[in-house]
Parts: sequence; structure tokens; C-alpha cells
Amino acid sequence: MAPDLLWTLIAFFLTILVLSYVLGDNALFRVVMMIFVGISAGYGAVLLFYQVIMPRLITPLMTAPVADQPGLIIPAVLSILLLFKLSPRLSILGNPPMALLTGVGAAIAIGGAVSGTLFGQISGTISPFDLSGLPSAGSAISQLFGGIVLLTGTVCSLAYFHFGARKKGGVNTGAQPILIQILSRIGQVFIAITLGALFAGVLAASLAALIERLDFLINVLKPLIS
Amino acid sequence: MRAPLSTTIAIGAGILTLLGFFISVEALTSVRSLLIEWAVLLAGVAGLVAIAHLLSVHWRKMTASRNRNVTSAFLLIAFGITFAAGMVLKPGHPTIQKVVTHIQVPIEASLMGVLAISLTVAAIRLFQRRGGWMSVLFAVSAFVFLILGSGFLSSAANIPVLKDILAAVNTLPVAGARGILIGVALGSLTTGLRVLLGTDRPYSG
Repeated sequence: MAPDLLWTLIAFFLTILVLSYVLGDNALFRVVMMIFVGISAGYGAVLLFYQVIMPRLITPLMTAPVADQPGLIIPAVLSILLLFKLSPRLSILGNPPMALLTGVGAAIAIGGAVSGTLFGQISGTISPFDLSGLPSAGSAISQLFGGIVLLTGTVCSLAYFHFGARKKGGVNTGAQPILIQILSRIGQVFIAITLGALFAGVLAASLAALIERLDFLINVLKPLIS
Repeated sequence: MRAPLSTTIAIGAGILTLLGFFISVEALTSVRSLLIEWAVLLAGVAGLVAIAHLLSVHWRKMTASRNRNVTSAFLLIAFGITFAAGMVLKPGHPTIQKVVTHIQVPIEASLMGVLAISLTVAAIRLFQRRGGWMSVLFAVSAFVFLILGSGFLSSAANIPVLKDILAAVNTLPVAGARGILIGVALGSLTTGLRVLLGTDRPYSG
């Protein structure tokens, strides 16, 4: 049997076994899922070793001049300490590298949220109100209308996620201020529309994948039948 | 104070990285680069630790005296073969790439295909169990954007009035998504600040 045909048959049977889930959860589907997780984990481990650990730790430790090697000892020690996380009794030794990872991760998240999302999204929301350089009054009105809808939707959607409650006489009443209640009602409409649009996008993508898989099955079966 | 060493490392590393991000001073930028370099390496090692933990859980499930899970053996065998072959041949080898294109991709695409059916069933169940104006609005929105996304109305985009209406309709989900994105960013900001202030210590477990 030609190797390419063997690989195609493997893909064919795996596709059928995964699609068998449509008829209900079954043992063969679960076996395929276990194989999928095992292969993904194996491939992921190989990638981590060859693309992260090898070039960033092992190769520099083996090839760097002796004078540069003390700078590599800290990450090497932290990496070894992190391996202690596998042992329940010694896992406390893995806390310092986890702390460094969490601290740097938190800082990157803050930087990304501020400069990547907050600035970008806020400037995107207010940019339609810049009417300079528009060719006609009609297009200015159209852009302004779009900007007002965008601003209203953004502010109201944000208000929907406001969970603060009003205090009365120092006691938390559990009720939101009336303005927030009105805004969050409008925000609910925008969020329902957004989730509907997202649902449509995911459904369209998954339908495309289903059609591609069915097309693959037909193309494999066609030569066998004819 | 609980876990003083780890807390000091987290706060120190976080603040130095953040300062290097916003203040353009040579020393701070190089410290930030070094810390990120270490964090990337540690994230890689953490990934390996997570995979090793996954394997140990499935080994325990497979060898348990009660409620033994035989399917875990398939996971361990699949991992062993892929890992051994990958370590010997290296990730770029054509045989390893065949594993990706003929095993991983078909399973992922088929799962995506199953998702189409599951989503349709879930949408029908949503209507059966939780009616109301939100469900109706969600369904109408999904239907409208499914039609818009299919390109069915692409020829109508040249008609002046219809073009403006389509542009207005397309603005609605952008507004909601922008609100959600800003909310997520504010949430990330708050969580990050709680870690940097030492209020949250997820590493001291």
C-alpha cells in the first residue's frame, strides 16, 4: 500500500469516527479524542523542546563563552525549580519561577490592555466624530449617525457589565443606579445583536468545515465506488 | 505575609517590566527584555510540566483499581509515539508534518463540522427553553448576519439607500463588540494590577 494512500485512509477513518458523534457519544469517538489529545501533547512537547528550551537555554549554555554563562544560570535554576511543581510535596519550590512568570505576564497584560485595546478601541469610537475632510454634508451626517450609534452601543454595552450597587444610608441596597439600569437595558440589545452576529460567524465557519470534510469523504469514496 | 519571596519576585518583575514598557530608558528596556526572555523560557518549561501532569493523570486513570479508564492508554500510546518520533526526526521532518496534516487537521476540521450541528441544536433548544425578546433578537441577528456573511446581498451593496442601511446594520455588532472588548481590557487591567499590588497571589499554591 502506498504511504500516501495509507495516510489518506487514516484521515478518512478519523473523520468518520469524529462525525459519528452526531449520532451520539460513543466509545470510538472517545478513543479518537484520546488519540488527538495524545498526539497534540506529543507534538506540543516536541515543539516546546526544539523551539523554546533548546534555543533559549540548552544551546546558549553549551556554546556561550564562560564569561556569559553566569547570566544563564538564573533561568536554568528557575527552570529546574519549576519542574518541582510535578511533585505535590516539593511543589512549593516551584513558586518563585511561577511568581516571575505571573508578574511578567501581568505587566504584559496591563501594557497590552492599555496600549493595544483601550487606546485603540476608544480612538476608534471617537474617530467618526472627526468630520474634517468629508466631501459633502450628506456623508458627514451619515458618518455622524454611525458615530452616535457606535458610541451609544459601546457605552451601553459597558454599562451592562457594571455590577456596582447603590448605597443608601451606608447600606448596600443591591440595586443599580437608575441611569445605569436604563443604559444596561439598551446595552443588552447591542450585546444580543453582537452575540447573534458572532454566532452567525462561527456557524458559517463550522458549516464550511463540515462541507469540506464531506467533500473529502466523497472524494475518497468516489474512486472506490466507480 | 504569605509567600514573601514569591510575592517580592512577582511584584518586582512585574513593575520592572511595566516600567520598561512605558518609560523609554535604555537600562529599563534591557531589563524588561531580559525578564520577558526568562518568562518565555519558563512558559515553555511550564508547558512541559503541564503535559507531564496530564500524562500522570491518565496513567493513574489507566492503572486505577476502581473505575479503570482503558481509553487513557490510547492517549499515552499516541503521546509516546509522537514524542519519540518528534524528538528523533525533529518537528520539520515530512513524516512529522504528515501527522499534523493527516491526523490533527482532519480531526480538528471534523470537530468544527460537528460544531455546526451542535450549534444548530443548541439554538433550537435555546428557543424551546428560554423564550423572550433577547432570544428573538439573538436569532434575528444571527439570521441577518448569516445572510449578510453568505454574500447573498453583495450585489445590493451598490444600491445607494440599501448600501447605507447595510452599513448601519453592520455598525450594530461592532458597537457591542467594542463595549465587550473595552470591558475585557478593563478586567485584564484590574487583574494585572491586583497581581502587581500583591492582592492576588495565584503562584503561592
